[in-house]
Amino acid sequence: MARADILEKLETTREPVFTASRRKRLLRVFATVLMVVYSLLTLFPFYALFVRSFVPTKEASDLHLWLPEVEEVRLEAEVGNLAVFYDMDTADLKDALGIPQTEFLGARTTLEEIVEEYDIPEEQMRDYFAGFYRYNGWNTLLLGDLYGTTFWACLGRTLLVTLASLVVLITLSIFTGYGLAGLQRKDQMAVYNIYLLQMIIPAMLILLPQYQLFQWIFRLFPTYPEKGFTRWALQLLALILINIKGTALSTMIFVSAISGIPKDLEDSAMIDGASRLQYVRHVLFPLVKVPIVSLIVIQMPLIYNQFLQPYVYLDPANSTLLPFIQSAVGQFSTNFQVIYSAIFASVVPMVIVYLLFRRMFVEGVLAGAIKG
Amino acid sequence: MESASGGFLSGEMPPAGPSRRRARKGLSALQRRRMLEDWAFILPQLIVFVGLTIVPFIIAIPMLFTDIAQFNDPQINWVGLHNFKAIFVDRGVQADYVPALRRTLTFVALNYTTVYIFGLSLALLMYEVGFRGGFFTVVYLPLMVSGLAVGYMAVMLFSQETGTANQLLMELNLIKKGIDIYSPGGTMFLLPLLVGWRYAGYNMAIFLSGLLSIPEETIESAVVDGASYLQRLTRIYFPQMWPSFILATTMCLIGSFAVFDELVALGALYVNPEANLLSTLFFIYGFQVERLGQGMTMAVETFLPLVFLGAALQRLQRRLQY
Repeated sequence: MARADILEKLETTREPVFTASRRKRLLRVFATVLMVVYSLLTLFPFYALFVRSFVPTKEASDLHLWLPEVEEVRLEAEVGNLAVFYDMDTADLKDALGIPQTEFLGARTTLEEIVEEYDIPEEQMRDYFAGFYRYNGWNTLLLGDLYGTTFWACLGRTLLVTLASLVVLITLSIFTGYGLAGLQRKDQMAVYNIYLLQMIIPAMLILLPQYQLFQWIFRLFPTYPEKGFTRWALQLLALILINIKGTALSTMIFVSAISGIPKDLEDSAMIDGASRLQYVRHVLFPLVKVPIVSLIVIQMPLIYNQFLQPYVYLDPANSTLLPFIQSAVGQFSTNFQVIYSAIFASVVPMVIVYLLFRRMFVEGVLAGAIKG
Repeated sequence: MESASGGFLSGEMPPAGPSRRRARKGLSALQRRRMLEDWAFILPQLIVFVGLTIVPFIIAIPMLFTDIAQFNDPQINWVGLHNFKAIFVDRGVQADYVPALRRTLTFVALNYTTVYIFGLSLALLMYEVGFRGGFFTVVYLPLMVSGLAVGYMAVMLFSQETGTANQLLMELNLIKKGIDIYSPGGTMFLLPLLVGWRYAGYNMAIFLSGLLSIPEETIESAVVDGASYLQRLTRIYFPQMWPSFILATTMCLIGSFAVFDELVALGALYVNPEANLLSTLFFIYGFQVERLGQGMTMAVETFLPLVFLGAALQRLQRRLQY
């Protein structure tokens, strides 16, 4: 080939190569922009929820993108209206201002009239209401009680159920995975296929008969109809049982992981005199940490965010977090500040756990995703 | 983990080796002991699973043929096939069932498109630009939020008067009048959007693991041969991602019919009939209007075909995967 030909070929090939890389770079910029936009759109609702939990209901029809400036209470405001807006107990108001509880404050009494009648400094009145403006929602949610329980008690129950369910679920799922490992016999394959059914049976299909079944079981306990420890313990136990029953995912990941562990390991443990249970605890358990993390990161949000089952099974006084939030929404249906505080509060704990362990979540989810 | 056990998940027995031949004649004492021990490990969870998943099916069967009104109903009469026929002949039941079915099917269809609009697009984006942990963290974030909270967040953003997003869009002069999440159109449009947004990270993970399982040589050689991006998609990526597509389809199908929490937040149980899909209708029949037998029967009539479809899809996926 002549030198000129080579040069010509270089000329012609250099051009497309150059444009390809430039196009590729443009494409990357475009993709990155898309990612950033999507991320911002995803984060915006969380931010808006945070802001709205501080916005008083009467200002809900104005756009708020930042925390609202505290507005001073107007002294012409009527006690009845304030009580509705702020879910304020007039008994607390009397206490705070040193008015005897025997005094009657009419709904149409204005703050001005109270100031004059009971000789209370205006400043004290304003200070009392300043807290209500921004923090009314949070105060009502975190300090108040509803249907015989509080936000904190419900959060505690949720954490208890989540933790207990995860520990038992993991233990039982490892046992199942070990019992099925290899899937070499027909009985093992049959059990495995039964668990796969879980993936395709909608929870709604079995909810009603499942509830009926639990009602029959509960009735075996004579003290169940009375409010008390037995009733509440049984209800929480039902919830935990539903959470630990094993899923297609839990079975798949442990069967798959344990099947991949060399048989020699078990044989040598047996020769050293270990029982199979000891083998599971001391040898198998440390080897299946990856699937354990996978299962935790997929199941934990599901259990923590469970609504339908606790809504149906638990008494309001024995509620977990989400049914409590739903009750709060029903109770304070006109007070958006309380509602959005409640929603935000229900979101925060799980999001904090997620952000702290985000690496585990990302890896666990990717490892588990392909299994469904 | 994947490769070591792939063969075991295929659903086929391992090739007939000596152990299999012996199994046919009868198990040795050692094998029998091994099997009993295996069952000791299997049983605890299996009892709970069968008790709470299979047994409910069985106890539901006789109830489908009765007029049982509520749980612990003292007065139950046999009604034969009446419950089964009701969705075809009973006007009152049809008035509840048919609109809920129509809304559910619309929702399933729209929700299925969000699997691709969110999940597949984000996975392809991530695959081309390279894996970004931070971006994954953000996309997956909504899955940490309950369906209930996501529903109420949507209400917060798209209430006609007080919705933050509405107010913002009006401030920017992008819309004249606020979108009303409680209107028929608003509910039908926003519901799949918010469910799709919530599951975006999950679907992205499914498609991403499909993409990552494609041998890199096939992509490199396609690039060297000058295949355009679209050609790469349709000829290289998609044909090798079938298991992911089927898995995403199965999960979306089952998930869409079971959607409940989001609907409660949109007021399905009380104020907003537009958000009342089949799942909330069955709930209302079982827990609120005392028509338990009818509700269970409708649930079976609706979901049983789905279970068979899901089982078929699952078989297909397993066959394609290995």
